[in-house]
Amino acid sequence: MLAAGLAIAWLAAVGLAPLDGRRRWVGWMAAAALAAALLAVLALGAEVLRAGPVTMVPGGWPAGVGIVLRADALGVLFAALSLAVLLAALCYEVIGGVDSRTFPAAVMFMAAGLTGLFLTGDIFSFYVFFEISMIAAYLLTAYGEARQVGAAFIFAVVNLLGSFLFLIAVGALYHVTGSLEMATVAARMGDVEPNTAILIAVTVFVAFGVKLGLFPFHFWLPAVYTGSRAATAAILSGALANIGYYGLLRFGAEVLADQLRFGSTVILVLGSASVLYGALQAVSRRSGAEVLAYSAIGQVGYVLVALGVGGAVGLAAAVLYAVVNSLNKTLLFLSNGLRGWMVGGAFAVGAFSVVGVPPTAGFFGKVALFQAGIDASSAVLVGLIFLGGTLSFVYMFQIYQHDFWRGERTEEPTTPGNRVLVAGLAVLVVAVGLWPEPLLAASREAAEALL
Amino acid sequence: MILATSAVIAVVFAAGAFLMLKSDLFRVVIGMVLISNAASLTLMAAGLGGDVAPIYPLESPVSDPLVQAMTLTALVIGFAVTALLLSLAYRVYTSLETVDLDELSREEVRREEELERGEVSI
Repeated sequence: MLAAGLAIAWLAAVGLAPLDGRRRWVGWMAAAALAAALLAVLALGAEVLRAGPVTMVPGGWPAGVGIVLRADALGVLFAALSLAVLLAALCYEVIGGVDSRTFPAAVMFMAAGLTGLFLTGDIFSFYVFFEISMIAAYLLTAYGEARQVGAAFIFAVVNLLGSFLFLIAVGALYHVTGSLEMATVAARMGDVEPNTAILIAVTVFVAFGVKLGLFPFHFWLPAVYTGSRAATAAILSGALANIGYYGLLRFGAEVLADQLRFGSTVILVLGSASVLYGALQAVSRRSGAEVLAYSAIGQVGYVLVALGVGGAVGLAAAVLYAVVNSLNKTLLFLSNGLRGWMVGGAFAVGAFSVVGVPPTAGFFGKVALFQAGIDASSAVLVGLIFLGGTLSFVYMFQIYQHDFWRGERTEEPTTPGNRVLVAGLAVLVVAVGLWPEPLLAASREAAEALL
Repeated sequence: MILATSAVIAVVFAAGAFLMLKSDLFRVVIGMVLISNAASLTLMAAGLGGDVAPIYPLESPVSDPLVQAMTLTALVIGFAVTALLLSLAYRVYTSLETVDLDELSREEVRREEELERGEVSI
């Protein structure tokens, strides 16, 4: 049960790799496999929410020797979210017509990597799955116009540097604790000399910060997001960025909890800087993709702020905001480049969700953030969240006005299927906003799994 | 031994970082290779016991085999990634006819200015 989603994605990826992805049936086969993997993960999620975390040691090894797979609320939530985002982006691209042999297989490899990464309990296999999904991401960013290859190269180099830093941190964690299992490492971190521990924590933070495009490490992000195809941009900001959120939550709040508390001021400052920098840059941009790219930098900052607040309220807010933000960004990036009244409506829903207006999903994300700010009894944080929300209102509706009212979206002729898909995503965002209880419960459970 | 190992890792990492800051794409790739090897060396060093190799041990204590397995995995990943980076660099060369990052960014700036002009005229 636990490995089913991973196995489906992995087998489909290997099977699809030699096929020509430009053929429509290959794309639809990939979508079917992805949907099957998503169903398996959702079934696993139902089991985890009902009966608590599931652990498994594949290969019949005794516990403590074999590599542990474990599914808790946090992992399952992110796995289901990432697979859903990948499915939406894949369907979008297949409906519009795939231009590259490798696209469906690369999406499947990323699905396998992401599922494995969220469901492993071992820090080294975390690194391996992480690298599988990153390699798929490097392939996807190179997909598009010729001039995009330059941005893809820079993306690959910067993120590889982040990956190798993470690998060094894995080596260091193994050296100081003598274990690779997350739970054991977390239990033994208390005995580690504080200087060493803080050094490891900084390395891990930098590795995931690069992945997320946090404020001081964001320089690669706008070039990649603006030049990519809509589906790739949606995958990068909706599915791949989840590695960063999950990594910060898992390694920050569970494995290196003391170090996170120690560095919480730094994290709050960097998160606030991200929020302000992303929002101010987004306000000054004109093209839709660029505004969304800078908005992505800003939105990541909120998750970091919630992580810095910590505790049950802060972590639940971080999880909830990460999920909501992934949905928003997928919707917005996919609708970018389409036109028509249906797309305009979907874009407006996404924009309201980014701002945090009810009845969209973003409202509950913002409410959770305000709760975290009040929980930390910090007027500055509440003010910051309010200011960030106001600025996001300005930049989102600037694009809306520019693209839809003045009717300047004339880039490519679009198929009606994609407009329906984007409208469906908008309905999902509203549905989550109207009936948020399952998501709220899941994010509370996820936060509890970390504490 | 510890000092020597860490000095070697530091030198390899620094050389890689230096090459990564160059504007030539292939130097950047080589810098990446050096950094990946520095990471592999760190993994090895994480379990360095100085005992015999862990192949069919009879009675003497062996050094930690787990780090060696991890290093092997990391090396394979590093190899795959290097191949991918080289092919990306080759594609940059065939489609843009340059491997110089400065020229690439000049091209980018020129294109952006064109875009701005287009925006203003609307």
